[in-house]
Formats: sequence, C-alpha cells, structure tokens
Amino acid sequence: MEEKKYTIRIEAVSKRFNRQHLFRDISFTLGTGTSLSLTGPNGSGKSTLMQIIAGIQSPTRGTVAYSCNGSEIPKNEFFRHMGFISPVLNPYDELTGYENIIFSAGKKRSEEEINGLLEKFQLYEHRDKSLRFYSSGMKQRLKYILAVINDPPVLFFDEPGTNLDRSGKDILYSHIESIRPGKILFMATNEKEESSLCMEEYRIG
Amino acid sequence: MVEEIVRNLKKDFRVEFRNRSALNLAVAFAGITTLAISLATGGVPFPANIQSVVLWIIMFFCAMNGLAHIFVREEEERTSLFLSLNSSHESIFLSKLIFNVIFFLVLQMIVCPLYIFFLQLQIKSPAVFILTILSGGICISAGTTILGAMVSKAGGRGSLFTIISFPVLLPVLWVAIATTTRSLEDEGYSNYGNIIFFLAFSGVIIAISFLLFRYVWVEE
Amino acid sequence: MKILKFVYVLMPISIILSFMWAPSAEILGNTSRIIYFHVPLAWGGVLAFIVSGIFSILYLSDKDKKYSMLHEKSYNSAQIGMVFTILATISGSLWSKLSWGSYWNWDPRQTSISVLLLIYVAYFSLWSALGDNSRKGRIASAYLIFAMITVPFFVFIIPRMYPSLHPDPIINTEQKLRLDFEMRITLMVAIASFTLLYFYLLNLLNRITVIDYYARDKQDEK
Repeated sequence: MEEKKYTIRIEAVSKRFNRQHLFRDISFTLGTGTSLSLTGPNGSGKSTLMQIIAGIQSPTRGTVAYSCNGSEIPKNEFFRHMGFISPVLNPYDELTGYENIIFSAGKKRSEEEINGLLEKFQLYEHRDKSLRFYSSGMKQRLKYILAVINDPPVLFFDEPGTNLDRSGKDILYSHIESIRPGKILFMATNEKEESSLCMEEYRIG
Repeated sequence: MVEEIVRNLKKDFRVEFRNRSALNLAVAFAGITTLAISLATGGVPFPANIQSVVLWIIMFFCAMNGLAHIFVREEEERTSLFLSLNSSHESIFLSKLIFNVIFFLVLQMIVCPLYIFFLQLQIKSPAVFILTILSGGICISAGTTILGAMVSKAGGRGSLFTIISFPVLLPVLWVAIATTTRSLEDEGYSNYGNIIFFLAFSGVIIAISFLLFRYVWVEE
Repeated sequence: MKILKFVYVLMPISIILSFMWAPSAEILGNTSRIIYFHVPLAWGGVLAFIVSGIFSILYLSDKDKKYSMLHEKSYNSAQIGMVFTILATISGSLWSKLSWGSYWNWDPRQTSISVLLLIYVAYFSLWSALGDNSRKGRIASAYLIFAMITVPFFVFIIPRMYPSLHPDPIINTEQKLRLDFEMRITLMVAIASFTLLYFYLLNLLNRITVIDYYARDKQDEK
C-alpha cells in the first residue's frame, strides 16, 4: 500500500466561553510521523483545544484543516480517519466489551486481531461482560482499544493513562511507542511519562 | 451505509432490551392510560367520534412518552460522541427512524386491542381502521424522530417534546381521527384517499428530516 | 432603510382613514372598522413567519458565513410575528363575537391562526430550552423549516375539516361584507402601513442584536 501523508493545519484558533477567552491565536501544523503533547495547568483548555482539533467542538475563531497527500478531507469525513480517547467519549454501558469493539470496527477487523488486542490489554477474559461491571481502569483500557482498533492515521489521546495501574500504563506506553511512527499523535496530559512519548511539547496557559 | 444502519439497529435493540426500564415504562404507560379511560367511563359507550378522538389522544401521548427516548438516552449516557464517531449522520438518522417506527407499532399493538376490548368498539370497516392506525402511526413516529434529536440536544425535557411535536402532528391527528370515526360508523367504507395522505405526509416529513438532521446532529 | 421611517406618516394616515373616511358597512355597522386592523395584523403574522423561515433557510445554507446572525434575525422576526398574530387573534375573536355571536367557533381561519400560534410557541420554547448551546441557531432554524413544511398540509386539510363563516377573500362583493371603493383603499393603506411597521420593527430589533453582539465583543477584547 502506498504511504499516505496526512497533515493537520491549525490556524489562529481561539476559543471563548461566554465572555472568557480560554486561549487565543493558536497556530501550528503537524504531519504524519510527528507527535505533539499538549501540557498546561487544569482549566487551561487542553481538552477543549484537542476537541477543536479533532472537529468535535468548533472554535470561536480560526480554522482547522485536514488533508491527505495534499487533497483536503472534509470535516465531517475526518472522523473516519481518527482515533480518540477522552473522558467525554463513552462506549455503551449495556454492551459487552466485545460488542462495543464490533460496533466500532464492523467487519473490518478479524476475530484474531480483536482477540490479540484484548489479550494484550488483559481484557480477554472480560470480553463478554457488560461494561456496567467493568472497573474504571478496565474501561480506560477498552477505550484505548476502541481508539486504535480501526488503525486510524491520526490519534488524539486525552490523558490516556487515567485510572490505569502500573502494569496497565506500561502496556499502554509500549503500545503507543510501537504504533507512533506513521501516525499523527496528539496527547493532552500533565504526566511527564506521557509527554515524553511525544516529540514536541506545546504548553498552553 | 446499509451495514452501518444494521449495526446501529442491532446496538439499539440490544441496549434497549438489556436495560428495559424505559421500554417497560412506555408499555406500562400505554396500558394504564387505556385502562384508565375505560375505568373512568364505567363502560358507558361513547359515540364513534369521541371514541376515535380518545384513541388518538392516547396514542399521541404514548408517542410523546416513548419516542424521544432513543435520542435522549444517547445524551444522558453520554454516548452520542461515540455514536457519531462510528457512524455517519445519515445512518444514525435512518436507524433511529426505523427503531422508532417499530417501537411505536409495538405500542399500538398494546393500545389498540386493549382499547377495542375494554370499550367494546364495533368496527364497521376493519380494513380502513387497521390501515389508518398503521399509517397514522408511521406518520407520528416518522415526524417525531428528528424532533427527538432536537429535544435531546436541548436537555431532554419531556414537555418540550410534546410542545414542539404537537403543531407538526396536528394534520395527522385530524385526518386520523376523522378517518377512524368513519371506519367505526360506516359499513363498507372504503375511501383510501386519507391513507394516501398519510403516506404522502410521512414521505415528505422523512425526506425533510433526512436533509435537516445533519444540522441538528453534527457540530460544525 | 430610510424608507422604513415612512411608517411614521403612513400609520397615522391609515388610522385616520379607517375611522374618519371609510364608511361603515351596511349590516355590521361601525364594528366593520376592525377589518382595517385585523386583516393587516393577520397578514403581518404570516409575513413574519415566512420571513423567519427564509432567514432560517439562508442561515443553514450559508456555508461561508456571508450573512451574520441570521438565526437571531429569524428569531426577531418570529417575535414580532407572534405579537402580530396574538393581536390578530384577539381582534378577530372580538369581531367574531360582534358579528357571529361567539368569540370562538373553530372557523378555518381561526383554526389556522391558532396553528400558527402553536408553531410560534413551540419555536420559542425550543429556543429558550437550548440556552447557550452552540447549536442553538441551527436546531431552532431546522425546527422552523420543519414546521413550515407541514403548513401546506394544513392548507389542504383545514377547509375540509371545518365549515366556514368567514367573509371569503378579503375583497368580495357578496352580501356578507360589501367593500366599497373607500373601504378598499383604506384596507390597502392599512395593509401597507402594517407591513411597513413590521419591517421597521424588524430592522430595529436586528440593529439591537448587532449592537449587542459587537458590544460584547468589545468587552472581550479588553
């Protein structure tokens, strides 16, 4: 398969809630193979900026543009090209872990691939349990699987390590390390360990 | 697209059946209002036009009670983002529409037999009666699907759903009540013009909802 | 927008004409003068609804944000329309009491105007329920368009469902309500002046909206 180069261009993005500016005039460009961590104190707008870049929220001013090999991707199609982890993104509590994965992946992924990921994140024996009975750490691991299951070229991780124990974090970081080349990776985090996974750091606030 | 709709429908039915509280409530509401009406009247037979008015009022409020749920649930459980990341807005709309149509048919299956049984309805033209109930029901569930999405984005308050649905559904209710009355009164009544009206109405309303849905659902 | 100021001249003229110049109708007597207010108000209510709908369509189809705050303008138009419609309903039912004997009798026009009121009420409820949701304009506009689409169905049904007592088209020469030349002219002037009044008020509200927006923007820049 031919190598696809994705680019995300953020131009003069500002966000304002009611009368308060969260941030102003943020601009940068990222291409495939690069990674960026967003750091900053609580309430500085890390998550909001990430959601704006992912197209989930709209900026008050400014534009976010996506392109693949030079041709523009419309905003509403961009969801197909990204994986996303965030506290605002919740899978279905009534479905089992496996059903949630199938809902996200459809028939595109084989049974072995799914089971492989489940085993890697120690969820295999819980695959047929409803999410209602998952612990928060297990849910976080499932969210990670859901974000990467379709092998998206752009990844947005908002504090991927929350609620994970030591071993969970180790598995997570090594997996991020292994898939990072060939992707665009955004990470909003305040953990040194997580931001050190990224090539660059952007501080806001 | 079809695969996505099927996937969504499967998910909706699974989620709804595993946590049946909302379904149970809607079904219980349908049964209890029907029973309450017949209890309150004490078995005194109404004239045909009152019978059909009451029947459609019951069905309207059953719809108001149950049909917004499919969208409101996504907001309440905060799963709507997960849903929109995984399916296009077209397939979300169509799958919710199909779910609502089926769900409302089920509610009608509960309301109508109970109503006929308890109020001792004498239906003179059963064919027109059944067709009116079915096609009127499709109009109601099709018309309220996009309104349910609007209500869910506005915080999911129940009375808001009734307020914004009523003016839109008024033509359906009028024609449905008139046709039901005729089918109760007249032997061999076979005027299908109103059925065509229902189909035209639901066709137009589905088409326009399909076009407008992205403005309600997608953040731009 | 200078032309809108003409309402200051036209409105007094129309009031004077309707009370002093136009003759009273044969059977209805002086009560017939309500027509010079009732008809223009009803027309204004419908016009405001149409303008709101057009603004909503423009708002949703305006991808490059060529026009600003169209959803607010659509809301402004609906506000004026609601007031016009309520006034038309009141004046209509007063007239109905005087000429037909009861305030309300589900005549097709009364039915239609109450449907229009219901749509307005639903639109305002939705608008206020949306609070400061970022999709407020889009959802409210979508609802207004959705409601407009159902209007042709009402036009089709209402006359079949309810028999009418209403003096049919505005100008007719039947027994019910004879409109003389003077009456016709007065009615035309009244319609024109109320139309002008509607646009005048709309322009005023729109300017307030714009000023409010920029004032808030200025405050933020500090």
